[in-house]
Amino acid sequence: MSGINLRHNPRTSRWMNILFHTFNNAFLLLAMLITLYPVLNTVAISFNDGTDALRGGISIWPRVFSLESYRGVLADEFVFSAFQVSVARTLLQTALNLLLTSMLAYALSRREYVLRKFITTVFVLTMYVNAGLIPNYLLISRTLGLSRSFWVYIVPTMISCFNMIVIRTYILNLPDALVESARIDGAGELRVFWQIIAPLCLPVMATVSLFVAVGAWNSWFDTHLYNAGRPSLHTLQYLLKMKLATTQASSNMAMQTTTALAARAPTTPVTIRAAITVISALPIMLVYPFLQKYFVVGLSIGSVKG
Amino acid sequence: MQRKLLSLLLILAMMLPLGLALAEPAPLTVTVFAGDPFDQPTSDNKIYKLIEEEFGIKFEFEFLAGDLDETLGIKIAGQDYADIMSGSNSAEMLIDAGTYIDLLDYINETDTPNLWAHFEPYMNRITVDGGLYVMPSFGRIYNDAIVNYQNGPAFWIQKKVLAWDNYPTITTPEQYFDLLLRYKEAHPTTEDGLPTSGFEILTDGWRNFCLLNPVQHLMGHPNDGGVFVHWDDNYRVDVFHNKDYSKPYYQKLNEVFQKGLIDQDTFVQNFDQYIAKLSSGRVLGMFDQYWNFQNATDALIARQMYGETYIGLPLVYSEDITDHYIDQPVINVNRGFGISVNCKEPKRIVDMFEALLDDRWQTIFHWGIEGEDYYVENGRYLRTAEQKANAENPVWVNANKARALFFYSPKKEGTMDNGNSWDPALQPELYFDMMSEYDKEFLTSYGMKTPAEFFTPAPPNEPYYPVWQIDLQPYPDMRDINTQMGDIQARDLPRLIMAAPGEFDGMWETFAKTMSDAGQAEYEVFLQGIILEMNERLR
Amino acid sequence: MDRTRKLTGRPGRGFLRTLWDQRQLALMSVPMLLYVLLFSYAPLWGWITAFMSYKPAVPLFDNPWVGLRNFSWLFSRQEFLLAIRNTFAMSVINLVFNTVSAIGLAVLLNEVASRRYKRTVQTVTYLPHFLSWVIVVGLAQNAFATDGVVNQVLLSLGLIRQPLFFLGEGRYFWWLAGIIHMWKEAGWNSIIYLSSMSAIDPALYEAAEIDGAGRLRKIMHITLPGIKSTFVILLIMNIGMLVSGTNDGNFDIPYLMGQNLLIDWSQTIDIFVLKYGISQGQYGRATAAGIFKSLVSIFLLFSANRIARRLDEPTLL
Repeated sequence: MSGINLRHNPRTSRWMNILFHTFNNAFLLLAMLITLYPVLNTVAISFNDGTDALRGGISIWPRVFSLESYRGVLADEFVFSAFQVSVARTLLQTALNLLLTSMLAYALSRREYVLRKFITTVFVLTMYVNAGLIPNYLLISRTLGLSRSFWVYIVPTMISCFNMIVIRTYILNLPDALVESARIDGAGELRVFWQIIAPLCLPVMATVSLFVAVGAWNSWFDTHLYNAGRPSLHTLQYLLKMKLATTQASSNMAMQTTTALAARAPTTPVTIRAAITVISALPIMLVYPFLQKYFVVGLSIGSVKG
Repeated sequence: MQRKLLSLLLILAMMLPLGLALAEPAPLTVTVFAGDPFDQPTSDNKIYKLIEEEFGIKFEFEFLAGDLDETLGIKIAGQDYADIMSGSNSAEMLIDAGTYIDLLDYINETDTPNLWAHFEPYMNRITVDGGLYVMPSFGRIYNDAIVNYQNGPAFWIQKKVLAWDNYPTITTPEQYFDLLLRYKEAHPTTEDGLPTSGFEILTDGWRNFCLLNPVQHLMGHPNDGGVFVHWDDNYRVDVFHNKDYSKPYYQKLNEVFQKGLIDQDTFVQNFDQYIAKLSSGRVLGMFDQYWNFQNATDALIARQMYGETYIGLPLVYSEDITDHYIDQPVINVNRGFGISVNCKEPKRIVDMFEALLDDRWQTIFHWGIEGEDYYVENGRYLRTAEQKANAENPVWVNANKARALFFYSPKKEGTMDNGNSWDPALQPELYFDMMSEYDKEFLTSYGMKTPAEFFTPAPPNEPYYPVWQIDLQPYPDMRDINTQMGDIQARDLPRLIMAAPGEFDGMWETFAKTMSDAGQAEYEVFLQGIILEMNERLR
Repeated sequence: MDRTRKLTGRPGRGFLRTLWDQRQLALMSVPMLLYVLLFSYAPLWGWITAFMSYKPAVPLFDNPWVGLRNFSWLFSRQEFLLAIRNTFAMSVINLVFNTVSAIGLAVLLNEVASRRYKRTVQTVTYLPHFLSWVIVVGLAQNAFATDGVVNQVLLSLGLIRQPLFFLGEGRYFWWLAGIIHMWKEAGWNSIIYLSSMSAIDPALYEAAEIDGAGRLRKIMHITLPGIKSTFVILLIMNIGMLVSGTNDGNFDIPYLMGQNLLIDWSQTIDIFVLKYGISQGQYGRATAAGIFKSLVSIFLLFSANRIARRLDEPTLL
């Protein structure tokens, strides 16, 4: 910190601070406006009458208020069980992934570990090689026999390389002294990890759980591949994805036919799409503040140290 | 604390699937794969319950949420076939992979008279190398096909524009665009103050048929499938978009673009924006297929803007050409259910389809239960307002119609022996019931009763017709050419329409050349060969 | 005996012996290694289908071998070469936009004194992450239309005389895609930097305060150095992705808004592969393109990592 010992005229500095804050707040306000608009717009459309919404032009308040889209989506008798499956998979996947990924990250953060470079490279390369859908499908479905089971949501997603790197980077940034002192006390690696490193990593753990949880909550593709034939294992996102596809598919299906039988779109996609977005994002939204406090407000390392 | 929470979660998650996995025993559960998205029917669905009572058969449906080709590829690689499967628009992949059993082992005149009578007249067309792998689900017409309105392609125009010009007869693009220009000049804005949009061309994704398809119709041909077939010249095939006879149409579009009738944004708007524009009532005309923009019509009717709804006109290049926009229904080759090699009891399933094809079941599928879903008056099948509303309510449909099963099953269309329409949506009484007073008066001004009367009734189809049913699966080179030509058309035709006045001819030459460099001639000769072979076989 | 000493692998010591000493670390990583070998590397047998005319219905080794024909087919197609260019260009733009916006937003948020305001802004800016691409691209198509809000603003500011045809001219496409991506993901992307800022020792700020350092000075000398290693590591990882592309930036956006007259600028490798590979049952081509992407990615990754090491920056590997 060589530069900061330069003294400034306190008055100029105060002036600069005010200018900075004004600019900062104005900028953040603008950022909020342009990111809030699409969200409010989607909410407004979701509460609008479907046929009316077709002509567009709704901004942040419904023009003709209606709950039909929500009724249409929530009337499905499988929504509740799908919600349960989604919650279960999200919780379990997040917990397991966090545990295994952070343990691995700790091991690979230790500079003296002889397998460090090898294992890190093997993991990092997974982000850049992709076997394609069919071999992956055959492994999970045929070799491991995980199709048509809940475990297909958990087993293939237990470790994430990107998150491992994120946690590892965070650990490497922690003051070395903390780890060293623990080790001098004679603690084993597991204990150092669990009692010293893990608590210090709460902000990054919160971040990573958010990444994993959002990914788990939003995924529908594994249901589509492995559990499409088992309605009792459908996840909420899959159900909603199907609903969305249904409202959009009717005209596609009309192309297959020469008569009017299938042509009729059962509902109007615009409002259904918006309602589905709101329904699927809401649960994560509600959980968010509990994770957010760890990385936004932060955690004073000094206090842990003391 | 953390550990306790984790173990609790583990236990919770392990219990869930256990509780859900308890299946109740059933005489026969048939797994079904459908290559389109559907909502799962409710577990107490009225019609599926009837089927279970009568046949002891329950269905376990798998619908499609993702990409069809990708999904079928995976099913094939894993040999994960449901008992009965519909490959939808890519069924040829399944046939090619040997997914299906030959149904002719079970379908014959004595064992399955209904199915035999249903398919026998089309057997040459629907079999592949002598085997029947998929039972076509649409296009098998009994008695007469009912046509009240054009559900397919046309040049559409707002009814109020024709009314403003005193109900003229519009036959050619010249007349059509001239009227649009005059109307737009007289009405630069709508009553709501929105700027009038003269002519829209939807180009979003696969819906760009609005840009690509008009010329074949202007030449007096039906929608064959991206090509123009010279019926009078040994079935020579043209990918017609860069031929000399296409130039006048696109040049006309270029001309009216310069005059401000077409807005450049039309080439970059998505489907939602297109529907929004149509629904606002400010679009005077477009080329499209009715089902594609039907939602917009609903929105206009909801605001009682009847004059802004559209009427289809069968434009042709010149008055001596007979329009051929409406074609005879064609049997839906390879689209429907087949039985997979994994199925344990194919005989029982064929027998079920046989029984479902009798008139009682067909009426249940199409119309529902008498007294509940429709009523009969003087031999005519009718619906009360409530019954009509139900039929359009997706939540009700999920509980009271066997939508997915019926969509892919062999079905009767056209007219029943007692004169009613098989498809309730086509029953004339129900159609006229819904017609507005405005529409009735409008049609009267033209001396007509239905919008279909603008069109020449469909002549018989050529034996091969249509090209879009030809399976390109075994010819990867042709599929490459086809894909590439599609990309070139989607890219270059909008640019041509927007070209500066002096540049059109030069750009047209370049476009024509780019197309032929992509292998156009090879593709055309190839299709001609297939058509000649089909005609030989089917005539 | 000094335990730390013992754990530090010294040259000359037997590898196995050191590993035995480090068995606790091995316990925490070798099972995961086996896991990833199974789930990420075992399926790579599929890569041999790039050298076949592969059909999923046929048992693997009954498929005819075609040598390098799938590769030569790809590189003989003008569209594929354009797709490589488009993927790369869009990736670079996305990388720059996303990194700058994420760091910028995180830094500015970090300067907000009120916790409540900070959390509110953070929550709001990350919300668009939960909208689907269909919705976001649809809104963008409204905003950038000839009569859309962007043109109106530019016109009223007198910056342009005629509305610009943003959506219909190729030269705008990559930038537009970048802006849309940034609009949706800036808040989400900033989370990772916010969390790495939380590791900065508050004592540093207090010390700077006492020294009378202004806001900008503190940002330059404390905040940014504090997140540098995160930045460098993410940068290395993303440089590896420049040609493989991401699902959203290099598929969703161009697929939703570029499949028309802009196709020469919008068609990316993944879109090309979908159209000419998977949709046509040409799995060999799809796999060949996948191998090409992987090889280029790995090359880029190691190059970036090497440069970082030369510059004495944190490295990924």
